[in-house]
Amino acid sequence: MDRSVYERYGGFAQVSRIVLDFYDRLLEDDELGPFFDEVDMARIVDHQTKFIAMLLGGPAHYTDDQIARVHAHLAIGAAHFDRLSTMLAQTLADHGMSADDVAHVVAEFDRRRTFVVKP
Amino acid sequence: MSIEAINEQLLRAIGVGVALVDADGLRFRFHNDTFAEWFGTPEPDARLGDLFPGLDLGELTTALEAGGRFTSETTFKLRRRTMVVAMDVTLALDDGQRIAVLVCQNITRIRELESMIDSYSMMVERNTRELKREKEQVEHLLLNMMPRKVYEEYKTFGVVTPRLYQPVSVLTVDFAGFGDLVQRTDPGVIVSELNDIYTAFDRIGEQFGCERIKTIGDVYVTVAGVPDALDDHASSVANVAVRLIRYLRQRNESHPNAWHCRIGLASGAVVGSVVGVQKYIYDVFGPAVTRAQRLRLLAEPMTICADAGAVAALDGRFDLESLGPRQLDDGSRVEVWRMSEPALAIPGDSRV
Repeated sequence: MDRSVYERYGGFAQVSRIVLDFYDRLLEDDELGPFFDEVDMARIVDHQTKFIAMLLGGPAHYTDDQIARVHAHLAIGAAHFDRLSTMLAQTLADHGMSADDVAHVVAEFDRRRTFVVKP
Repeated sequence: MSIEAINEQLLRAIGVGVALVDADGLRFRFHNDTFAEWFGTPEPDARLGDLFPGLDLGELTTALEAGGRFTSETTFKLRRRTMVVAMDVTLALDDGQRIAVLVCQNITRIRELESMIDSYSMMVERNTRELKREKEQVEHLLLNMMPRKVYEEYKTFGVVTPRLYQPVSVLTVDFAGFGDLVQRTDPGVIVSELNDIYTAFDRIGEQFGCERIKTIGDVYVTVAGVPDALDDHASSVANVAVRLIRYLRQRNESHPNAWHCRIGLASGAVVGSVVGVQKYIYDVFGPAVTRAQRLRLLAEPMTICADAGAVAALDGRFDLESLGPRQLDDGSRVEVWRMSEPALAIPGDSRV
């Protein structure tokens, strides 16, 4: 069986750095940050940990229904989704991930677009 | 620049928030830049409680009076980030004046890391539980395919060494007219009834230490003495055989489809092994299996045919009728007995 991106990049020890860096960038961003204004820190971190772990093929699995449900109350537009996609690609690249792997992870992310973006 | 001036500049610039307050009135006397950045610049006459309304000042004063230190934690938002700061207050003397030294360490990252570890641990623990459940399901499936002892060997070494088991007894069953029954009955009904019957056979076999090896359509094969040696293996299969007939007789009385079995018993040697690589199955083969299959073909419906080896150890506990030397379908001639349970039921036996 092929090893997941998560395993190939050193498992949680390495992925945790990506998670925290991504968390920093997200909160600093004036377009995406406001989505987390009223959210408890532990919840944001939990969300980011699962988000990154899932996309990299780590120990998190969410069905499309679950993803749609947890984002249902948020007014997420196509521009927000695109911005997060760019930010994700940049973060992964900055942590030494190959272009192919970044493309693979971003494709995984993009596959969920319709469950999150409001028309 | 004097040492004092350097000290003050350092104190102002470090990444730790520092403030000095009067120990008695808790009024601010000094704060550094980091402190102001986090909590704002205290007003000229501000007291500690003005900046930290949540702080238990009574507890702080008591702790300082007792000569100890006071520690607490506070959170605030810096833009949208929740900052967590650990506060440590100790008492110092400055020209006879008692000063409370407040040192604030930014522990935001530590808390974020703790939250991440919590999140990760929960994910991993849930995964571990799921894996354990899946492992149990796989184990359950494999235990249906091979005896536990063989499974243990397979699990430990990844292979099963073929073994010769001797002596053992083999029981094979099939059903007279099965082909006709299949043709005229709904397949779902056939499978369901066969399932019931095989489950009952398994249960009866287990009571006498028999291990079901396989079923091929209507042929059912079980063995006594594999993989654990059994002294009374012949007696075990004989006991099972009579009970299978008894079970079917009872069942036929209350079901529209009557099932009439034919049973062959033989004792001797078998080889037991896992056969196959991708699609593997535990199987036994050898003279005892072949003979039991052939003897079964000689049996009339609802009767048992056994070879000399199988009847030798029965000690008169079953009725035996010699059918004389009979030719098996491979051309060999062997002494064959028809075996049945004694006219009197086995006393005190509740096993079917």
